[in-house]
Formats: sequence, structure tokens, C-alpha cells
Amino acid sequence: MSVTRVSNSQTFSLLTDRAGQLEVQIRELQDQVSSGIRFSHPEDDPAGAVQVVRIRGSLDALAQYKSSSSFGTDVLGAQDKALGEADNLLTRAEEIATQQAQGLITPEQRVAAAEEVHGILQGLTALGNTEFAGRRLFSGLALDTPTAPFTDPDAPGYNPATAYTGSTQQFFVKTGGATTERVRVSTRGDTVFTNALVGVKALEDTLRTNGDVAGTLPGLKTAHATISDERASVGARQTQLVDRGTQVAGLTTRQQANLADVQDTDVVAVISQLVQAQTALQTTLQAGGRLVQLSVATVLGI
Amino acid sequence: MALSPVLSLAQRALLANEAALEVVGNNISNVNTPGYSRQVPEFESNAPAIDASGQFLGTGVRIARVSQVVDPLLLRRLLGATSDKAAQGALSDRLGEVAGALNDLQQPSLASAVSGFFDAADALARNPSGVAERLALLGRAGTVVSELNRRSAAIADQQRGIDDRIGNALDEGNAALKDIARLNIAIVDGELNGQRANDLRDERQRALQKLAAVLPLHTVEDDSGSVAVYAANGLTLVSQGSVVNTLATRTGTAGLDGGPLTDLGFKDAAGNFLVVAGGYPSGEAAGLVSARDTFLPAHSTALDTFANAFRDQVNTVQQAGVDLDGNSTALVPMFGGSGAGGITLLLDSNVDPNAPRKIAAALTTQPGDNQNVLALADLRTASVAALGNVSFGTYIAAEQGKVGEDASRADDAAKASAALADQLENQRQSISGVNLNEELTNLIKYQRAFQAASQVIRIADSLLQTLVNVVQ
Repeated sequence: MSVTRVSNSQTFSLLTDRAGQLEVQIRELQDQVSSGIRFSHPEDDPAGAVQVVRIRGSLDALAQYKSSSSFGTDVLGAQDKALGEADNLLTRAEEIATQQAQGLITPEQRVAAAEEVHGILQGLTALGNTEFAGRRLFSGLALDTPTAPFTDPDAPGYNPATAYTGSTQQFFVKTGGATTERVRVSTRGDTVFTNALVGVKALEDTLRTNGDVAGTLPGLKTAHATISDERASVGARQTQLVDRGTQVAGLTTRQQANLADVQDTDVVAVISQLVQAQTALQTTLQAGGRLVQLSVATVLGI
Repeated sequence: MALSPVLSLAQRALLANEAALEVVGNNISNVNTPGYSRQVPEFESNAPAIDASGQFLGTGVRIARVSQVVDPLLLRRLLGATSDKAAQGALSDRLGEVAGALNDLQQPSLASAVSGFFDAADALARNPSGVAERLALLGRAGTVVSELNRRSAAIADQQRGIDDRIGNALDEGNAALKDIARLNIAIVDGELNGQRANDLRDERQRALQKLAAVLPLHTVEDDSGSVAVYAANGLTLVSQGSVVNTLATRTGTAGLDGGPLTDLGFKDAAGNFLVVAGGYPSGEAAGLVSARDTFLPAHSTALDTFANAFRDQVNTVQQAGVDLDGNSTALVPMFGGSGAGGITLLLDSNVDPNAPRKIAAALTTQPGDNQNVLALADLRTASVAALGNVSFGTYIAAEQGKVGEDASRADDAAKASAALADQLENQRQSISGVNLNEELTNLIKYQRAFQAASQVIRIADSLLQTLVNVVQ
């Protein structure tokens, strides 16, 4: 049905409705510019809302995987350092054993060597009891454990083979969503240090009893190999975590870009729309003013 | 030629144009009155008379009637469009409110609360015996419970609010029914002499519009000018000057808050409640009922499903391990209650200082065991059968999509029905609305006619004076 005449009410309704629509549009565009976000209500973009919720959840999870990777890297780094020191101590023990097995050694020199080896034993024990941020590095990473996992070598009845009384629990960190995406960051003190403690204790005892020092060398070499193997394992897992951290950082960047694509305001486009809407509002108001002037009363001067 | 008929003729012209000026004045006065239909004077020539010379001469003008410029078919279509607009508008408004209450794009949100819970589980997995991490996990668990409780209460409150609004809408409809019956009587009385009670008809049309906003209706006008009003299912609501059946509610089934909701129906003169199918297929009442009985319960059920699944999954893991003191937690669930409104945090550190120690982070008593809390953290991405084999996060995202889609679709429908109603109202305005330029032109037209008639009187008077002077 064609409109053949226009009532005054229509004219003003058209003006107020159009101006109202433009004002709402301007407010929405201003919100977008000031917040930098294209929509903040699910009804404005239901499909976008689904993506935003998913991506935000994914980013939260990635942040945790990053934290876990970072934590694991730090722990393994501390273990590597401790194992490196243990490696040095064992090297020194092997040097002493080799020296003492060769040539003439005075009783005083034997005693001095035994004291140094005892120091190495204490050093290895201290390394086995190392704490990292309050947690036992070689005892399941347990926090605030008052009892050290390795018994003091000076304790009565000390037996290096049974010196470890700590946790045998392996500690994993979660580096991904799947239950298999975990990396072991614990290193059991008994599996790493027991051979070393036994070997060094044997050397000390041999030196003190003037026994066959050469016979202790194979045990020390075995212990050394154990430490080296574990260091290699720690290094490999550390690399795995660093790689995972890098991978997570990449995924995070991509997800953040996805989130920005879905949710962020295209500032240039919005500002352009804002200017258009403001111009349209100005024009509408001006047209309204002109329409009001278009009256028989005005023309006739009534 | 007699001069007296000329004076009479001019006098009738003066009266007719004066009346026309009144009609124009009335139109101008009502230029901004909602629902006003412009009126036009219908001029008619008076029956001619035979003068002394035997000629048929005109006897001037009269206003036969003052009519309204309306299109009855358009008004009927407008009633239907009003019902649809009210229905879609009510549904859209309510679903918009639901989307606001269940918005996961802003804080607080269920998505962030659940994500925070699993973040805390991950943090505890990195330090399973840390009391601070345990407190944080319980704090996050409390946030999940609070958000579920809040959402459940918000949906229940909205349903109650809608139910209250239904009662108010029906009250407004009943007031309109009374007005229509009263106006029927007034219009019939006013039109007994053959004139049209234009302003009363406008008022009745406005009352019909108000009623149509509540429920769709059919109207039939009889010869006397009375309008019979029927509900969409044919039930008579108004006949002549009587309200035959009123809009009514009665106590119905329980709502989400446990209190009874109202059933819609009608009430006859004897006070009997009538349940008539199809009585409220559109109008605000229908929109409100749709939101109250279909959409809100669906969202509530989805929320309950989520709450129960979350409770069960977390409790299953929690009850499989040992606490910080090495005790089995087989009988120590983390969550209790049922549904989003009833879920509670059982391990509440505000109530039990030892609650953090009761979190089962380990499967063994070995120091540093984090196996169980890793299993808890794994729930973040685990497929949950009770949720249709999707993860908690995916379920929340999908529900967010549904909430948004429902509100968006309702908004689109509301805009479409509003556009149709606006278009029809625009057409009504085009036909029946007042145009001041037109009225001012008519004003001049009748003013000039009035002046001309006055001039006729002046000339007739002059002629009479001349005759009187001749006689003297």
C-alpha cells in the first residue's frame, strides 16, 4: 500500500525514531572503541561467544601448561646442578682412589685421604638432601619435610646402602590436556646416590683400614656412570620441557590472535562507522529542522 | 425575489462553515493524540425550494455528518500485528535478561570460575602438599559453587518475575475488556441519531489495541456500532455492554523456585475457571509463557546437568585418594547437594580449618605424591559422558552459544514483528493521522467560506435597507 499523505505525527515519529536509532548505534560504536571489544553479550554474536569462551578456556589451560613446564625446567635445572656437583665429587673420589692405589703412601697421607673422602661422602649426602624452594629435590619433591631423606654419615650405625629413607614416589608435571602429556621431574635419591655413597664409603673404610684401594675403583666408576646417566636423563627431560614451553608459547600466541580476530574491535572500521553515524544524525536533525519550517503557517505568515 | 431566504441560506452557510472550523480545530488540537483519527465534515446541499416564480432554487448547505477517516481492515490487521509484536517483544526482553544473567563473556562467569578451579588444581599438582595451594583450590571450588547458585537463583527469579508480569498483563487486559464494554454502550447511545461517535470509537480502538497487546482477538461490529470481542479460540470476551469472560489465572505447577506458577485461562460470569486450548497463542501473555515454561527451564536444566556432572567427576577423583595426613578420602567428597541451586562445597575452609588438608592430592602416603591431583587437573579436558561426551569447557561454550542464539533469534523476530506493526501504524497514520498543513488549508477554506457567507448577509441587509428607504 503506497503512502499518499503524511501526517505530522509520522513526520516527527520518523525523525525521533531515526535519530534514536542513530544515537543507539553511536553509543554502541563508542563502547566498541573505548573497550576495544566488538561484543560483550552472547546475543550480539552467538557463534563468536562460543569461540571466545573456548579460546579463553584454552588460554587458561595453556598458561598452566606453561607454568608447569617452567616449574619442571627449574626443578630439573636444580637437579642437573646438584648432579653436576656430585659428578665432580665422584671424580675427585676416583682421583684419590687412583692415587692411593699407586706408589708408596704414608699412614698420615692415608688418614688425610680418608678425611677428604669422608668429606666427599658428606658432600654427596648433602647433595642428596638438597632443597629447592623448600622441597626435597631427590625425595619426591616433598615440601617442608623435616627429616632429611639421606641419613647423616656420622650417625651411629650408618649404612650407605640403606641411608635413603625418602619418598620413592615419582613426580610428574602436566604439560598438556591429554593424560599422557606429563613429564617426570623427580629423580629418586636412592637410585642416583646410593651407588655413590656405597662406593665412597667403601673407599673411606678401605683407606682407614689400609685395605685394597684399587678394589674400590670399579664401584666408584659404576656410581659415576649412574650419576652421568641420570644427568643425561635430566637434561633430556629439561629439553623436552623447554621445547614444550616454546610450543605452548606459540600456541598461546596463535590462540590470542584467534581471540583478537573474534572479539577485538576493528578500530579503523568502527571509527569510520562512528563518523558515518554522527554525520547521519547531524543530517537527520537538520532535515528535521527544515521539515518543521515547511508549513503553510510559515508561508502565509499566520 | 424574497430576501428572507437569502438571509436564511447565508445563515446556514455560516453555521455549516463554523462547524467545519470546529472540526478542523479539533483535528489540530489532537495532532499529537495517540490513536486519534482525523475527522472531516461532510457538506451536503439542502433540498431546493420552489420560489414564487416557480423556480427550483437552492437553500444552501448543511453538514450531514462528521466522519472519521479510517480503514477498518487496516485496523483489524493492526490488532493482529500488535499481538505479534507484544509476544515477540516480551520473549526477546526476557531472553535478553537470561543472556545477561548467563553471560560468560563478562565477569563473574561460570567459564572463568571453572577454569580457575582447574588452574588451582594444576597449581596444587605442582606442589601437592602446599597448604596455600590447597586453600586456593577450595576457594576456587567455592567460586564455582557460588556462580552455579547465583545463576540458578537468577533464572528462578526471572521465572518468578515473568509469572508476576503475566498476572499484571492479564489485569491490564481485563481493564481493557471493561473499557470496551463501557464504550460499546456509550457508542450505541451516541449513535442512535445516526451520527458517529468518532472520539468514542477512537477510545474503543485504543482499548482494543491494549487488549490485543495481551492476547490476540477477533472483533465483529454489529449495526448498532457495538463490537463483540472474541479470543483466538472463539471464546466470547465482550458482547454488547457486557464482559462475558475475563482473562484469569489459577495455581499451576511448581516453578524453579519451588513456588507455584500460574496457569492461564478465562473465567466466566459464574467464576468458573475455563481452560480453553489456544486461548493465548500470541500477545504478551504468550511471549511470557514461552519464556517462562520453555526457555528458562531448558537453561536451568542445562545448568543442573553441568552442576551434577561437575560434582560427580570431582568427587570421584577426590574420593579415590588420600589426604595430606595420609587418610583415605573415600568418604570425604568435595561437593554435596544437587543441581546448580543445591550444590554445596563440603570442604569449606571457612567452616573446617582442616578442610584444605582433606583434599586428596595423592594416591599414596608417599611424600610429594601428586597423582590424584593430576587426575583432578585432567578433568579440565576430559570428556564427560553426562554432558554428552564433551569437556566442561566445551559444554559451557555450547550453552553460551545456545543462550546467545535464543536471545538473538528472539530479538530478530521481535524486530521483524515490530517493523510490521510499525509499518501498519505508519499506514494508519497516513490515512487517519492529522496533517497540519492540510488542516491549515482547510481552515483558510472554511474561513473564506464563512467570510463569503457573511458578505451575502451584508448585501442582503443592504438590499433590505434600500427597500426600507424606498418605503419611507
